[in-house]
Amino acid sequence: MKVSAKWWLRAGVVLAFPGVLAGCATVKPWDRDLLAEGRMRFNPCPMLHSIDEHIYFSKEASMGGQDAAGGGCGCN
Amino acid sequence: MQLETPDDTPAPPQSALRERLGTAALALLLVPGAAAAADSGAKTQIDYTTLLYGEQGRAQVVEPILRATRLFSDGQLLSLQLGFDSITGASPSGALPSGRVQTQTSPSGHVTTVPAGEIPTTSFVDRRTGLDGEWQKPFGQRFTSTIGVHASTEKDYDSLGVNGKLSVDLMQHLFTVTVGAGYSDDSVSPVGGTPAGLSDGTVVTHGANAKRVSSALLGVSRVLSRRWLVGVDVTRFEENGYLTEPYKVLSLVDQVTGSPLDQVTDKRPSTRSRTSVLFSSVYHLTDDVVYGTYRYYTDSWKVRSNTLDFSYRHDLDENRYFEPHVRLYKQTAADFFTVGLVVGQPLPEFATSDYRLGPLTTFTLGATYAFHFDPVPGQLKLRVDYIRQQGDGSPANAVGVQRNFDLAPTVNTVSAVVGYSFKF
Repeated sequence: MKVSAKWWLRAGVVLAFPGVLAGCATVKPWDRDLLAEGRMRFNPCPMLHSIDEHIYFSKEASMGGQDAAGGGCGCN
Repeated sequence: MQLETPDDTPAPPQSALRERLGTAALALLLVPGAAAAADSGAKTQIDYTTLLYGEQGRAQVVEPILRATRLFSDGQLLSLQLGFDSITGASPSGALPSGRVQTQTSPSGHVTTVPAGEIPTTSFVDRRTGLDGEWQKPFGQRFTSTIGVHASTEKDYDSLGVNGKLSVDLMQHLFTVTVGAGYSDDSVSPVGGTPAGLSDGTVVTHGANAKRVSSALLGVSRVLSRRWLVGVDVTRFEENGYLTEPYKVLSLVDQVTGSPLDQVTDKRPSTRSRTSVLFSSVYHLTDDVVYGTYRYYTDSWKVRSNTLDFSYRHDLDENRYFEPHVRLYKQTAADFFTVGLVVGQPLPEFATSDYRLGPLTTFTLGATYAFHFDPVPGQLKLRVDYIRQQGDGSPANAVGVQRNFDLAPTVNTVSAVVGYSFKF
């Protein structure tokens, strides 16, 4: 797979975003009660999420998100 | 992969939760999967869903999926998922409408008649079986690895893939970095053989065509406050091999009247590089939770897209929640997309009139309702989505009679998901 240095530089800038946004923000362990809830995830329902990914992959030209898996369907 | 039910059930009132978690929150957060393991001692979860999908006048899909997830005492997760797709109906062939009745022949030799002024479609029936496995293993307090395998087969397409991710927790678990990669080895075996690109389709080659997909993932997530979690993921996909849609065609039209006189097959480049950047946010309000994502996508075929997605989860009580959902998507056309070609003019190197590679807007509105009732164990989930897809029905390069037609009719789709999960 050919990935240019320019691409890695762009990816680094983008990935720095949460750190810049956060600054020195910290949350003590005893203040993480809400974060411990199962619904405090990016994808609390993985099966519904995978169904959505499949539907939109078949109907649109785009793909990509939080998974490294590609291919797997002849629908598009 | 995450166990859904233990943490997906509605949360108790905040004060009770605080009291219950207290200092235990530290221990739960430090060990991946510990929260799920601690919940009623569950070790195995079964998830079953059925997708019912119907496009108005086009494709219909029924897809039951069964998944079993086993959680081990040391935090490892192993899951297996089996799914079947039954797909029937029709999709646009790529040909243009005509002021007269048209006839067309499918790859299997079936002849259909297309009424004047209507977009020609091709009927199809297919079955797909997919098997996915995933193994997640924590290493110490900071590292978690995930390995996934995939295999699927359908009448004209087979796929075998593997992928992996490694996550590192930093800054007392406030910051997580994830790297991943994947590889998929697919083969495309069109029914009736593979037609030469941009030909009349009569000359075909038999046998499978290779398609390989390599992927890379870089992601970070950050706890911003007691209520807010954000993340950014960058993915890159490199596709090589047979990327053409063998059943699609393009009309050759008269340059003055616009009437379709003939047609040629679709032809796309044999490489495609895709990049996406996904920004994610989860925010806990006083009781409810708001999810939001924005994705920017670009590829070497010059498709650009922007996607916004929002959900709002409202827990009605300890056993039920309601979650409305909206999604907006807009893409530009691939640089070789055209609604048709003109007879007598030189053929381009690549061309497609597949509406999915044209300018496109998708709007989705839906909602999920989840509940469980005693004494039946587990959780039931119902989700309904309305999807409206619009292209450019009056492109600037339409000629003659084509200007009188809507070349990209709106596609209305309804999808419903019924799911049931339980653990033991």
